[in-house]
Amino acid sequence: MFRFDPYSPEFDADPFPAYKTLRDEHPCYWSEEAGMWVYSRYADIVTALNDWQTYSSAKGNLVDELPNRAGNTLGTTDPPRHDRLRALIQKAVTKRALDHIVEPCRTACQTHLDALAGRSSFDFVNDYSSNVTVDLLFYLFNLPKEGQQTVRDKAVLMVQTDPKTRQKAPEHIAAYEWMANYAAELVAERKNNPGDDLMSNFITAEIDGEKLKDREVQLTVTTLIMAGIESLSGFMSVFALNLADHADARRRLAADPSLIPDAMEESLRYNTSAQRFKRCLQRDVEIHGQQMKAGDFIMLAYGAANRDERQFENPDVYDIDRKPKGHLGFGGGVHACLGTAIARLACKVAFEELLARYPAFERVEETLPWVPSSNFRSPMRLELSVG
Amino acid sequence: MPKVTYIEHNGAEHEIDLPDGWTLMQGATLNGIDGIEGECGGSCGCATCHVYVDEAFLSKLDAPSENEEEMLECTVSPRESNSRLGCQIKVTDALDGIVVRMPEAQS
Repeated sequence: MFRFDPYSPEFDADPFPAYKTLRDEHPCYWSEEAGMWVYSRYADIVTALNDWQTYSSAKGNLVDELPNRAGNTLGTTDPPRHDRLRALIQKAVTKRALDHIVEPCRTACQTHLDALAGRSSFDFVNDYSSNVTVDLLFYLFNLPKEGQQTVRDKAVLMVQTDPKTRQKAPEHIAAYEWMANYAAELVAERKNNPGDDLMSNFITAEIDGEKLKDREVQLTVTTLIMAGIESLSGFMSVFALNLADHADARRRLAADPSLIPDAMEESLRYNTSAQRFKRCLQRDVEIHGQQMKAGDFIMLAYGAANRDERQFENPDVYDIDRKPKGHLGFGGGVHACLGTAIARLACKVAFEELLARYPAFERVEETLPWVPSSNFRSPMRLELSVG
Repeated sequence: MPKVTYIEHNGAEHEIDLPDGWTLMQGATLNGIDGIEGECGGSCGCATCHVYVDEAFLSKLDAPSENEEEMLECTVSPRESNSRLGCQIKVTDALDGIVVRMPEAQS
């Protein structure tokens, strides 16, 4: 009897066979463990992402939602308010508005690579990608330099779920609350001394003549910090893993860095770190012989859709020549990741610098420790040998 | 399923049947039509799904939102009176037969 348990460490190690069974045999599956339905086919997920009226985010978008978060962030607000909120930030994070991050990002990459000099191996996650993303986020939000390591540690913890209880554990909620307080202090400080940074602009903005709610600003900033640090580092870690596991691709990129963007897109398709998000049904829906009720929750398994052979040929092959348009590595529809341009730009720079320094690297550990999370999938640690 | 005709800048035409509620951007990116990029994933955040909508269908579309208006100012190819972002137009039976032309460049 097939069971789909998104909380089991075995599943995290290799979710793709289970995803295939879901797509082929249970395209609308009731997961006892998660207490929600699971969509896994590309077309079903795109349809759900297009139809925000039916598939609402307002009851939360994290598979295991954090307390008081639903309804108070971009990702957990439906249009039309969502669109108004998003418009306040969107312009600052479009590709052409981001030229200014390239040099700070490159400097951060070089600094953290310099620190590895003389070593025959290093941990890509803890020695490189997370340091780079913390530096970048602190630059973007103009944050005070002290406490960088703590902010990163909390960002990593707050995305996790206890795999045994299948709930957020007290330390995960405490990390989230720490981050919300950190954000609240920043917001208060920027309110008194607004600059022309992204956060100040958001804080001072109005919608329909009304200031944004304090809680909305705090929790949106909390989410942006979490995404800017942990999601971006997760994305880079998975890309590094793919290049370690696919030596031909890595050699081609090292010889011709202009191929990095295509290889990155294929990583977003092949094994995006953003594996699963959640929606709540606003009306009864019948699909694939299942009768779902208004109020039911649905998990959208982007990681499964990206391997759907109905959409992508030879989906289990990591092919850097594929140019997989329409992949769901950043989600899709109105809630598609806000930071796509930042993520692409930062990741491109990070790998230009990495491959210039280390054109060859290999995985040290056969078995990887995965971040215990019902949403994200990325290694906690990725030791690479470069000697 | 509503039918959409995409005309690339070089004149190549593609007729695509799209599921109801899918966007013009998705119809292009999922069917290998190169003239549309859709980098942001459909959140009206990148202006790389810029299309010129056939005049006959313009009046059947909802007016662009404030956000789309802003992004239309960011297109690489010139914005015309019939410029729209493909990710903001969901195809329905009312738009069956719609024709859109692709600009010279998206990014």
